[in-house]
Amino acid sequence: MQRIYVHPLPVRLWHWINAVGFVAMMLTGTQIRYVGLIDLMSFRTAVTVHNWIGFVLIGNYFIWLLFYLFTDKIRVYHPELSPTKHFKASFRQLQYYGYGIFKGSPNPHQVSAYDKFNPMQSMMYQVVMFLLVPLLAVTGVLLWDVQGFYGAVDFFGGVRVVDTVHVLIYIFFAFFIFFHVYMGSLGHTPTAHYKAMFVTGYEEIEEEPGHGGATKR
Amino acid sequence: MNTLTIATLHQNLVKAAFAALLMLLPARLMAADAAPADKLSDGDKQCLGCHGFDGLKKELPGGKVLSLHVQGDGFAKSVHGAIGCASCHADVDLKTHSHKPKTIVSGREYSVAMTKVCGGCHAEALKQNETSVHATLLASGNPSAPICTDCHGSHTVTPKTAYDTCVGCHLAAMDAHQKWLPNAGLHLEVVSCAACHAPAAQRMVDLRLYDGAAKKWVAEKEGKPEFEKMARAVDTDGNGLDALELRKLIGQINRDEAAQPKNLRGRIELRTGGEAHQLSGKSKAIKDCAICHRQGAEPFQNVAISIFSADGKPLRYKAQKEVLGSVLSVDSLREFYAVGGTRNVLLYILLVLAVLAGLAVPIGHQVLKIIVKGELERAARQDKAAKGRDQP
Repeated sequence: MQRIYVHPLPVRLWHWINAVGFVAMMLTGTQIRYVGLIDLMSFRTAVTVHNWIGFVLIGNYFIWLLFYLFTDKIRVYHPELSPTKHFKASFRQLQYYGYGIFKGSPNPHQVSAYDKFNPMQSMMYQVVMFLLVPLLAVTGVLLWDVQGFYGAVDFFGGVRVVDTVHVLIYIFFAFFIFFHVYMGSLGHTPTAHYKAMFVTGYEEIEEEPGHGGATKR
Repeated sequence: MNTLTIATLHQNLVKAAFAALLMLLPARLMAADAAPADKLSDGDKQCLGCHGFDGLKKELPGGKVLSLHVQGDGFAKSVHGAIGCASCHADVDLKTHSHKPKTIVSGREYSVAMTKVCGGCHAEALKQNETSVHATLLASGNPSAPICTDCHGSHTVTPKTAYDTCVGCHLAAMDAHQKWLPNAGLHLEVVSCAACHAPAAQRMVDLRLYDGAAKKWVAEKEGKPEFEKMARAVDTDGNGLDALELRKLIGQINRDEAAQPKNLRGRIELRTGGEAHQLSGKSKAIKDCAICHRQGAEPFQNVAISIFSADGKPLRYKAQKEVLGSVLSVDSLREFYAVGGTRNVLLYILLVLAVLAGLAVPIGHQVLKIIVKGELERAARQDKAAKGRDQP
């Protein structure tokens, strides 16, 4: 096994603060929206906690953003500009997850410090980190003070549109949390990716050339 | 004894003489500038002949002075303009009034006594008020306890928003709410004070037409009532506006593309104004957010769209409660959304599907793993068996 340092400390810190915060945001958000369906806490407590954690997560997002903007690690988020190449690689990755992984085939994606995402992850995280999370934060801040941000709320089509966008992204993350946690268990051992992201920062990969036995999550 | 200073009387006489000169102008020219007070009955004009002078005063026992001035235009435009002076002041005999004026001990005492007159027409409101915190204060002898005229005015009785009326006395209301209520400013803007402070009352959603460019509620043009006619024409089945009909109505209201669009702004109001009088103390006021912010909450069971009439009264037309959560209302109700209370069923279904899909990924993948591994093992066994048969 070869050990490659792919998750620097700022990224790991951001990730776990984000993970705990996101779970709390999903729970309080569900409580706010579906009073009666779940009764974990009062509506007012849920709103207060949701607001505070929301601002913590916005601050936390900037840890991630500044780290990547001011280091060369931003390369992990560089998109593959050739659609043909990207989709061919994505299809190979899909074949691996749907079949190859069960018969012990090597992972078609070779992890490195500057290329830690497989093609499907790469596309997914570009959308999540540069579109959905910022949109979730912006709509959340607007809903936090609808009156104060009336001009912006009106610009985006009114409070109903802003709330619907916020809720649609929440619904996406309600799916994504399950998906993300499960994919994290598909390393060379079920806990390999968790250990790498939580503790060490090192991913363990097969030594055999061309065989990237580990992918991030 | 009524007093009127010489200087004021002179000033008012000059005004009256000028007004008389104007009357000589052709009626057509006058019509454009006719003052609202001109529409009053002759009897009311006779009253205003004296009470219209802003220096008319009465000396009260103890040396206090009570103004007897009534703003003619204000009264004419008020909701009581149509019923005239005598409806409330039936005890006044015009033959003897000028030389035998009423005996008034204090303005406050007179106003308290006049609440019975208010009850002559507004019996329900007065009855609701009996158990209110305001009536309790009055009964306890509190000299500042609010009575009818403190909230509604005496002669310029016009519909006002509850908030504007209440903060006239409750100046610290905003600060007090900001200490515990999230989005306090927004709540005080869109929730009538009585909606929480009259907890036993029944609430409703009043979707009022608002002109964002002019920053004011939309009112009918005088002499051209169109709102109800338009709503009735759109509501073909007569069972209240559904989401599609509401969209159509808003489209018709905004049919002039050059004009700034008008939108519906939702307010939580009481179903009847009378119920607003049963105000309780703040200890009994609603503080549980879930009263409104939950599916099927009581305030969202009754919905109306409204506009102000030319004289400032709200004109309401029933809408179906389902408009609040309809996907078709995203644009027509763009300025009204109460989290939890007006949620969309479609989004709820999407959430359930998303969670199911999230659970289906690990379950499906593990099932696939079992199937593929089973197939691979079966293939391996068959291969081994085939090789065994091939070997001599």
